[in-house]
Amino acid sequence: MAKGYLAIVLHAHLPFVRHPEFTDFLEEDWLFEAITETYIPLIKMLQGLERDKIEYKLTISLSPTLMTMLMDGHLQSKYIRHLEKLIELSEKEIDRTKWEHQFNALAHMYHTMFVDARRIFVEEYGRNLVNAFKHFQETGNLEVITCCATHGYLPLMETERTASVRGQVKTATDMYQKVFGRKTPGIWLPECGYVPGDEAALKREGVKYFLVDSHGILFGTPRPRFGVFSGYLTKSGVAVYGRDIESSKSVWSAVEGYPGDYNYREFYRDIGFDLDYNYIRPYINADGVRINTGVKYYKITGITNHKEPYNPDQARDTAASHAANFMFNREKQVEHLIGSMGGRKPIIIAPYDAELYGHWWYEGPMWLDFLIRKIRYDQDTIALTTPGEYMKMYKSYQVLQPAFSSWGYKGYSEFWLEGSNDWIYRHLHKMVERMVEAANTNRHAKGLVLRALNQMARELLLAQSSDWAFIIKTGSHSSYAIKRFRGHAENFTSLYDDIKSGSPDEEYLKRLEGKNNIFPDVDYTVYCT
Amino acid sequence: MAKRREKKSKVLKTKKDRAVVAVRSEQEVAPMPKQAEETVKPFDIKEQNVMDKKEFRFPHGYGDNRIIILIRDPWWIFSYWEVRRDKEEEILRKIESAGDQKQKSVLRVYDVTDVHFNGRNAHTYFDIDLAGLANSWYINVGKPDRAWIVDIGIVTKKGDFYLLARSNVVKTPRFGMSDQLDAEWMMPEEEYWKMFSLSGGFGLGKGSVEVREMVKRQLEEQISSGALSSGASVFKARAERKFWLVVNCELIVYGATEPDAKVSMQGKPMQLRPDGTFSMRFALPDGMQAIPVEATSNDGIDTRRITPIVTRKTE
Repeated sequence: MAKGYLAIVLHAHLPFVRHPEFTDFLEEDWLFEAITETYIPLIKMLQGLERDKIEYKLTISLSPTLMTMLMDGHLQSKYIRHLEKLIELSEKEIDRTKWEHQFNALAHMYHTMFVDARRIFVEEYGRNLVNAFKHFQETGNLEVITCCATHGYLPLMETERTASVRGQVKTATDMYQKVFGRKTPGIWLPECGYVPGDEAALKREGVKYFLVDSHGILFGTPRPRFGVFSGYLTKSGVAVYGRDIESSKSVWSAVEGYPGDYNYREFYRDIGFDLDYNYIRPYINADGVRINTGVKYYKITGITNHKEPYNPDQARDTAASHAANFMFNREKQVEHLIGSMGGRKPIIIAPYDAELYGHWWYEGPMWLDFLIRKIRYDQDTIALTTPGEYMKMYKSYQVLQPAFSSWGYKGYSEFWLEGSNDWIYRHLHKMVERMVEAANTNRHAKGLVLRALNQMARELLLAQSSDWAFIIKTGSHSSYAIKRFRGHAENFTSLYDDIKSGSPDEEYLKRLEGKNNIFPDVDYTVYCT
Repeated sequence: MAKRREKKSKVLKTKKDRAVVAVRSEQEVAPMPKQAEETVKPFDIKEQNVMDKKEFRFPHGYGDNRIIILIRDPWWIFSYWEVRRDKEEEILRKIESAGDQKQKSVLRVYDVTDVHFNGRNAHTYFDIDLAGLANSWYINVGKPDRAWIVDIGIVTKKGDFYLLARSNVVKTPRFGMSDQLDAEWMMPEEEYWKMFSLSGGFGLGKGSVEVREMVKRQLEEQISSGALSSGASVFKARAERKFWLVVNCELIVYGATEPDAKVSMQGKPMQLRPDGTFSMRFALPDGMQAIPVEATSNDGIDTRRITPIVTRKTE
């Protein structure tokens, strides 16, 4: 019998990027790269566990924008085309590297990976990877939860706060219900951004739990009896968990973390940048700008520009020993805690961005696979669980008011509210006020007005994505983020003006419905107050 | 690369919608964290006029008379505002009819913790003088776990304050362990600190001040999605590149024969183009390579063999 629990939570999210008006669009590659490098490797890992009949518990949050893109026919076709090109490139690479056996073996490795990806994507899941997650949820091992509709950062939704938060939460939980045929067990608050009181919106939609960063629990009121090592109940009855720092660091931290090991694959040496321009030209961006292809031949090697060829066997051994180290540290952590828990079993919450696994940290899915298998067979101090399961273990939990917090830079809102991006909020706030006003004055809209109001809700939600502020802040792709934000504000404002003047332009509305086609079942009355 | 980025930011600055970005005095602005290293080259997408009804620009104002405040962290709040001209003129007339004159525009920041604020009953307040064109401001309130309201208004020569707009209330996040104890879940003081320390990954035996400092430091380090979210950020900074040079060699072997012939290169069958030409591209390492190319006619009668021998030596 285990003495304590580990709950690994992977948060998978990408902003809604879909441009049917272009055959080739740089920012759509975010999705394609994540599919090939993260989602499919994770799915392969889950398939392996199922094949070997290994029981495990793992939680994954799929943001509604990501789910929408995974289920979208247009993006699915584009992904297959993207993958075909990678397969072609890796075939050429097999020929080109014929006289360099280390690289040649790697070219074969990528070729196999891409061909496998195509098989899994097309044949096994009919192009829709949400089916895979649905399947593993049904086996009882995976807990899939939702996130806010467009990953809106809740702490900065100051005006019409209740309606704003409700729009983000309810649109997401409704979509989850429709896709998975059940209620979401929990929710991932975007960037773990939490403001006291937001749990009311979760309660209303039947969400059972959410996660905050460590200080959300530690600075909670009254004093948390169990630190971050238990779930707590908010007054509304919704449970809350806090992130464990120790386990986070070992994976997150670029300095102390596993992913920086010299044997692991170097992210920044990609043939998209390394090879002769004329040769690589067909496989980079259509504009001729060099980009990452995903084919990378070197290991981190050290703090040096000189890189050695990647050695998959060596990397695999390293991942195995890192998994063993992680498990050992969690066992020690549990043993250390057990005496202070008043007879309860501690839970360690270890949340990570899913895209860290495979995309940034190439060996991440392998590490996770080793970890899950080792926990099952190599020890019995800890067991895997999910936040949902842990809340069923005891009759009572301490009631706690978590503190305002996020897991962003410095623990609060600074990343999304600073000199480069703070100008967006006056517009966002005005938009939601207008949304509420339009919803209240047209409570029983029909026909065109109804469609226009629903499209307004879509545009508002899309404008609210925390990604735009984030990207504007980081600098790369910022012109795209500004364009997107402005575009949604524009669409929203045009619709608002049209509704006010009583004559929605159907042609225009139709075009918007076709382009920004997320949340087909969105219900604008969520904004009625 | 650096040049390119510079150019890009110039473009942004000239964009009309950037005019809404606040003008602020340097000392009031929180230090900006360093920009993350750009990992993907900048790429401006083509204008998408497809959907444009008319050219859209964010308005300079919405015709509101208001001020909104947002929490940035336990010590800082952000405010933005819009004051209608008629409102300002009305107030200025009032000041004048009271035989007074405007001295300056200010933000008056009130601590309204546990108070039903009526304009006069705040615990404390302080003023921030506004520079001419500002329409937003970062305010260092410096106190976690307190409630705040900000007025924008005019201070007169006589020292009176005239209100232009009053903000919403926000409460800065609490920073530190709560003093409230839960009777049902009581334990000795040191036990709480032990749990707290373990939760923060600090080990044991730390006192309250120490742990608070450690939490703060930890939050300031970037063990957070801020640095590590996908799509837009960096996993770790790229090694600083000073001057550098990379040279690689590739070899292209190409040729032609009858379109229906069978060709092999180093024993591997080749795909011929419809005109009978063929080519292969190889990364060429140091050393010698013999590359026998053999063609056999469709009827199998004629065979030709040519073997280029290539040596690469890097010094």
